[in-house]
Amino acid sequence: MPQSTDLLQGTLDLLILQTLALEPMHGWGVAQRIQQLSKDVLQIGQGSLYPALYRLEYKGWIRSEWQTTENNRRAKYYRLTQTGKKQLATELATWDRLSLAIASVLGRATEASS
Amino acid sequence: MISELLTQLRFLIFRKRRRELDEEIEFHLKQAVTTRIAAGMDPAEARRQALIEFGGIELTREQSERQRPGWWIGTVMQDVHYAFRGFGRNPLFTISVLITLALGIGATTAVFSFVDRILFRPLPYAEPSRIVSLGFVHPLERQEFVMGRFYVEWQKDQTPFSDLAAQSTGVQNCDLVENDPMQLNCISFQASFLPLFGISPALGRNFLPEEDRPNGPPVVMISYGLWKGHYNGDPHILDRMINVDGNPVRVVGVLPKDFQFPTLEAAGIVSPFAFDPAVQQTVNGGFGHPMRLFARLKPGVSVAQAYAQMQPLFNGDLKWFPPSAKSETRLSIRTLRDRETQDARPVAWVLFGFVVAVLLIACANVAGLMMARGAGRQRELAVRSAIGASRGRLIRQALTEAFVLSFAGGLAGLAIAKALVMVFVRLAPTGIPFISKAHLDLRIGVFAALVSCLCAVIFGIATALQKPRLAALNAKTSMSRNHAFLRRSLVTTQIAISIILLSGAALLLRSFTKIEEQNLGMQTGGVLTVKVAVPRLRYNTNQKVMDFYLRLESSLRRLPGTRAVGMTDSIPPGGWQDGFRLSDLHVQGKPPIPPGTGGTVVGRSVTPDYFRGLNIPIMRGRNFADQDRTGDEREVILSRLLAERLFPGEDPIGKRFLPGAHVSGAGAIVVGVADNVKNSGLTEQSDPEMYTLRRSVSGDWGGNHLMVIVDSAMPVAAIEPWVRSEVSSIDHTIPVEMEPLNESLNRLADRPRFETTLLGFFALTGLVLAIVGLYGLIAFMTTQRAHEIGVRMALGATRTNILRLIAKDGLRMVLVGSAVGLGIALATSHMLKTLLFQVSVYDPLTYILVPLLLSLVALVAILIPARAGTRVEPAITLRAE
Repeated sequence: MPQSTDLLQGTLDLLILQTLALEPMHGWGVAQRIQQLSKDVLQIGQGSLYPALYRLEYKGWIRSEWQTTENNRRAKYYRLTQTGKKQLATELATWDRLSLAIASVLGRATEASS
Repeated sequence: MISELLTQLRFLIFRKRRRELDEEIEFHLKQAVTTRIAAGMDPAEARRQALIEFGGIELTREQSERQRPGWWIGTVMQDVHYAFRGFGRNPLFTISVLITLALGIGATTAVFSFVDRILFRPLPYAEPSRIVSLGFVHPLERQEFVMGRFYVEWQKDQTPFSDLAAQSTGVQNCDLVENDPMQLNCISFQASFLPLFGISPALGRNFLPEEDRPNGPPVVMISYGLWKGHYNGDPHILDRMINVDGNPVRVVGVLPKDFQFPTLEAAGIVSPFAFDPAVQQTVNGGFGHPMRLFARLKPGVSVAQAYAQMQPLFNGDLKWFPPSAKSETRLSIRTLRDRETQDARPVAWVLFGFVVAVLLIACANVAGLMMARGAGRQRELAVRSAIGASRGRLIRQALTEAFVLSFAGGLAGLAIAKALVMVFVRLAPTGIPFISKAHLDLRIGVFAALVSCLCAVIFGIATALQKPRLAALNAKTSMSRNHAFLRRSLVTTQIAISIILLSGAALLLRSFTKIEEQNLGMQTGGVLTVKVAVPRLRYNTNQKVMDFYLRLESSLRRLPGTRAVGMTDSIPPGGWQDGFRLSDLHVQGKPPIPPGTGGTVVGRSVTPDYFRGLNIPIMRGRNFADQDRTGDEREVILSRLLAERLFPGEDPIGKRFLPGAHVSGAGAIVVGVADNVKNSGLTEQSDPEMYTLRRSVSGDWGGNHLMVIVDSAMPVAAIEPWVRSEVSSIDHTIPVEMEPLNESLNRLADRPRFETTLLGFFALTGLVLAIVGLYGLIAFMTTQRAHEIGVRMALGATRTNILRLIAKDGLRMVLVGSAVGLGIALATSHMLKTLLFQVSVYDPLTYILVPLLLSLVALVAILIPARAGTRVEPAITLRAE
């Protein structure tokens, strides 16, 4: 089973889960939201967004359903599942630990970002 | 965790629709376009930019697809599917590999299943390698035995063993006298016997020390078979009184189901050996009773050390022996496995060698075929690589193919093995220990399959591992000279091994025909042998025994068509027969023969009709006459061999023997000389033989071996029921065993026949495999060279030229292989020596015919594909690329 677990992919998963935790959203919305929130620093390549969404869905952390948008278009909305919420919590905790550790190593004991 | 698994399982079964992703991407793009238009961009430009930003749609699609759990299963199915398509396109290759694998695995597994029991499977005892059989051996008794007198000393003075236990020398007839009477085999052993072997009874207990004592309480143990069969597994069998030979005895135990006596005898009832040290000094001329002795080595003591430690004791014992026996008696200590498997071991090792050889050939074959295929596919691999198949994917593809092939071949092989084991068990003679217990050994089947798979896999991926070269794409032909040398060596090796196998089998075949064709010195057709064992319980005097047999003789003589009814204690050429030393004979008026010289003489106690019944010619003097049977004189007839030994250049008729071995009373007179009869089995050198007349005097009717031979003008099958009814009209409780002499002789030849069949079968398997390999290689190389052949023909080469070109290549391999094989065969053939009868291990005929035969077959295997190769039309092959 091809499955790279590098930091980048893990981070993308975390960002998607966090975004969907706020409200159910379609793929386009997820990309836009991440871009907005990161003040255009993080640009999600669509080439990796959809595989990531599928992966999370296959894992059962998010669930998809077709809905109509406010512009009356059909779009596939993703929402966090119960296991997804738990997963988000653990991933956040891991992230906190990790970023704190890295910050300490780098000698910049600033506040950890979430 | 579980819900995650369930989700994965759900997606594994229900695939997402492909269109779903397309729609999703479409929506995404529309959103991107809309945003850009809203920002004031031109619609066409907006769409273009959105597409650029999105990147490769197809890539996204593929990446998303790959996230699906079980995605890789699909690709494996793809590989398998592709492999099957490949096999279909290349049936010759596929069939060759399958045949090779199936035959190799099948034959190897089947034969190993037999050999395993003899060579490797541990005996069913605790630490069997530390149990030995020990005692004296001499030419008349080659199985260890010990006399009671010495056992007493050994028990006291021996050092190498932690335990000793004696068993009676063999089974004896005994009668279960109950409402359902039955004749059984009885045996006895000491109370220390079962603990020594680490066996505990299935039911009840072992003998107690106080029971294993002279005049102890009468108890027995019974076999599992007797308990289950005769007593229907009666749970109250313990403490039950049963009647053996008229004595009530108490059952104290039941032997385990899979218990086997170390002598491999079958016995229904075991009684305590009740060894009495006191009487051993007095009975049997002060030697005591003979017995079998088993011992357990102390930890750290080897058989050789035990032998050295026992040697002084043995030397001390020797002084008690008569001078004649001294030089011939030896001490022998053998591991139990050696004793149990006897002379089956050489055969087993030879078979094992054959197994390994055939497996080698099979592997070489598979390897060669896989490499040939790999070389032929370089172009295909290069194409697949060029259109995006990764190295890993190509290797996996090759692995898949190898596994699919091996799996199919392995299954077919196991089926063949199963069938072969069934055939072998049917063919197997009774004489080879353990063989009837052989069954398909799955462990070895799996092992053989694994070895073959490994060959297939290693050589299968060898080609895939090489980075496909771009050159292969635009090469004019996909011909590869890579590994050509390795492939040729593989075929040469196969030929060499086949030569070794074939010459071994041919030697055995020659030996077997010699056995079958030899002159036995007697007639065997139309003769019926009748074995009648009178129960000692009722026939407790020699007089009663004699009366029974004499009555039987006269009633059989009255049967229509009867030509002769003879009685004897043994029948040549095999089985039990009486024997003594030549030096024990004392001829009147001649100096005694030096003790220990002259070897052994077979003694037979017969009635006059014995010679008529078996049609053994009397060369000089006369046969025993009927009136001799009632006379006082004891007559003997010598075999020609014995007459020549004892009376060279003299007339033996009228010579007298003084009382001694085989001659009792007042001595005996030689009345005739009979022609030699094969009397030491079919394959051994015959011994000299002395016939004594079995007179109608009760003293001549001791011993419990007696056989009646009936020579009749009627077919053997017709007189069998008559004989049976004659016996039962005298005593209906006596069991009768009958067999035409032809058949018992045939049984003697069973073993060489079996060995020959087995090895012959193996050699043929090896030959077939090697030929398949040769054929496959030549065929492959010819196709590879089609282009070259086309060029040659275009330049004016004739078909004969081409044929010669290809055949030369193949013949070189055959010649080199044959020469190497012949060399190894000659160097190793001495291992077959013990299996051969009247055939030299360097039998010239074998070593000429075998390479000739192989070369002929090989020539055919070369010429068929070579001829096909010459059929190419130059115009077509040249334009083909």
